[in-house]
Amino acid sequence: MANSKIMIVDDDPDLRRALGLRLRANKYDTVNAGDGYSAIAMAYKERPDLIILDLGLPAGDGFVVLERLQKSDRLSAIPVIVLTASDAQSSERRALQAGAAAFFQKPADNAELLEVIRATLPQMARESALPS
Amino acid sequence: MKGQSTQVLLIEDNLGDADLVRLRLVEGKSAVDVNHVNRLADGLASLREKSPAVILLDLNLPDSQGAETFRKVLEMAPDVPVVILSGQEDEALAIKALHQGVQDYLVKGAISSSSLDRAMRYAVERQALLRSLEMSRKQQLEFKNQFLSHVSHELRTPLTAIHQYVNILLDGLAGEVQGEQRDHLKTILRSVNQLGAMVRDLLEASRAEAGKIRLSPRCVAAPDLIHAAATMMKATASEKGVGLEVGVDTTLPVLYADPDRVLEILINLIENAVKFTPAGGAVTIQGCAAAADTDFAYFSVTDTGCGIAAEAKPLIFERLYQDPNAVDSSRKGLGLGLFIAKELVSLHGGRIWFASEPGEGTTFSFTLPLYSLAKLLFPVVIHEGRLREAVVLVKVVLRPHPNAPRGRWKDITQRCLEALQGCVYLDKDLVLPPMAATGSVETFMVVASTDLECANVMMTRIREQLGKVQGLSGAGELEVSASAVPLAEAGPGQSLDAQVHKVAEAVNEIVRSVLGEAQRLSAATKT
Repeated sequence: MANSKIMIVDDDPDLRRALGLRLRANKYDTVNAGDGYSAIAMAYKERPDLIILDLGLPAGDGFVVLERLQKSDRLSAIPVIVLTASDAQSSERRALQAGAAAFFQKPADNAELLEVIRATLPQMARESALPS
Repeated sequence: MKGQSTQVLLIEDNLGDADLVRLRLVEGKSAVDVNHVNRLADGLASLREKSPAVILLDLNLPDSQGAETFRKVLEMAPDVPVVILSGQEDEALAIKALHQGVQDYLVKGAISSSSLDRAMRYAVERQALLRSLEMSRKQQLEFKNQFLSHVSHELRTPLTAIHQYVNILLDGLAGEVQGEQRDHLKTILRSVNQLGAMVRDLLEASRAEAGKIRLSPRCVAAPDLIHAAATMMKATASEKGVGLEVGVDTTLPVLYADPDRVLEILINLIENAVKFTPAGGAVTIQGCAAAADTDFAYFSVTDTGCGIAAEAKPLIFERLYQDPNAVDSSRKGLGLGLFIAKELVSLHGGRIWFASEPGEGTTFSFTLPLYSLAKLLFPVVIHEGRLREAVVLVKVVLRPHPNAPRGRWKDITQRCLEALQGCVYLDKDLVLPPMAATGSVETFMVVASTDLECANVMMTRIREQLGKVQGLSGAGELEVSASAVPLAEAGPGQSLDAQVHKVAEAVNEIVRSVLGEAQRLSAATKT
């Protein structure tokens, strides 16, 4: 079966590349978006199994992206993990209320992030990601 | 002030004095509009309606005398300047009033229109100046916070990149790394983590200063927190060759505290202790019941370091203070750890202090409040001086579906708790503080002063209201049940306190069995 597909949304190309490297090393496929607008467009096109979302983004910040994902019939089921440099105290609650499945502050612990990704991926996709 | 008259509130019961003041006001250069009342109550009522430009206040009124009079006026209208009209005999009191926020005083009998005019004008000016100073102080604090929040956000992005790429190298994702290269990379990683911790502390300290830290207290077992803190600090200590020892009294009752913040306090103190302890030394963390005060638990972190010099002692909890004699002078940190620890302890209502001899190490000690069910229950189960007829324990269990996302579940249960608070009567029911989560199943309990039959009404309400909580139906299941709390007959002469303690014990008995943690809680739950 195919690997789970994770979409990385971050405006910093270095961070996208690093996270992509890390995820691919763990048998995930990745696609990238660098701003809010292309995140939505890419989500429609690629239908990722999970989205890792930065909050501070050009062209529609992370909260706007969360809201638009929630409102879309076709995208609302995709779990979103927020990974941001924003302060946890000010944005964690807001992000979870907006529909995020989990919240991580940068720099996140890789092991913990990977564990939450595994636990958060929809059941079907998760099974296919298990080492065979 | 031409064209516009100054609104004056004159509070004076002696009509002769009042007329004289009016006369002087009319003689003065500026146009005034006097509202005269005889009693303090009338004056306060008038202040409630509108703010005058200045208040002229006699201290001895039919319904209030002396210092009480100006205190009440200042409390009602803190932004309106007050000038006291004092008699010869209470001039001393008028001077005292100046220290408490009154702007000026005039001695009756020696009031001229020019002195009255000037006193009022100056009072208004000074008050405006004070207000603008206070405003700019607040603005500065707010600006500083925004600045720090912004800076720390910007710092975290490059920090994250370094952190990620060093880890990529260390994990061999970009090819094999040789022995010495690995060591260097680890040094980079350690330094980056230090930098990250400093950014965090900076933000935390500025938040503490602005009073923006909010606690979410829970019932939490102290030994768990101490062990968690020790585990988190193990690597740092052993890297430096410092031993980490834990001594916890396992019978220590449950705390009522914010577990994340308690961890933060412990880690700050342990980090500090390790920093000042040379290799081969030891840091000991202890927790026990406070001997002096049964409402608090006592914690201590002891090191075998260099001790604190006498001249440094008064400064140790100050922000940015760093001991110039630090052993580990290469890495000083920001000097915020102890400041943050102190702020967090006092937010909990505890105390923090230290004892130290130069050369013989230091012990930092602090106290945190214990959870006391009896204290919380008293106002609920005691009604009109006696114990209620019946008490019921309502249990609300929230069980997540196996694949419910963790973060969202935490938020849903929090919203359920808020909804639950809205389902009870504050004067006769008590939602018990949530137990520190022992897994993803969340259990909330309500002590209700009612019998089982009437509890059904409450249970229906809870099912309805929690059923409306957004996201719950998709993520988990709700289960509501109730059981009667057995109430013993009050023995002759048994005090209310003793009766409430009995109820608390009975409630705890049920809570223990519900949580299925009979062993730990039986030792740990204080009634």
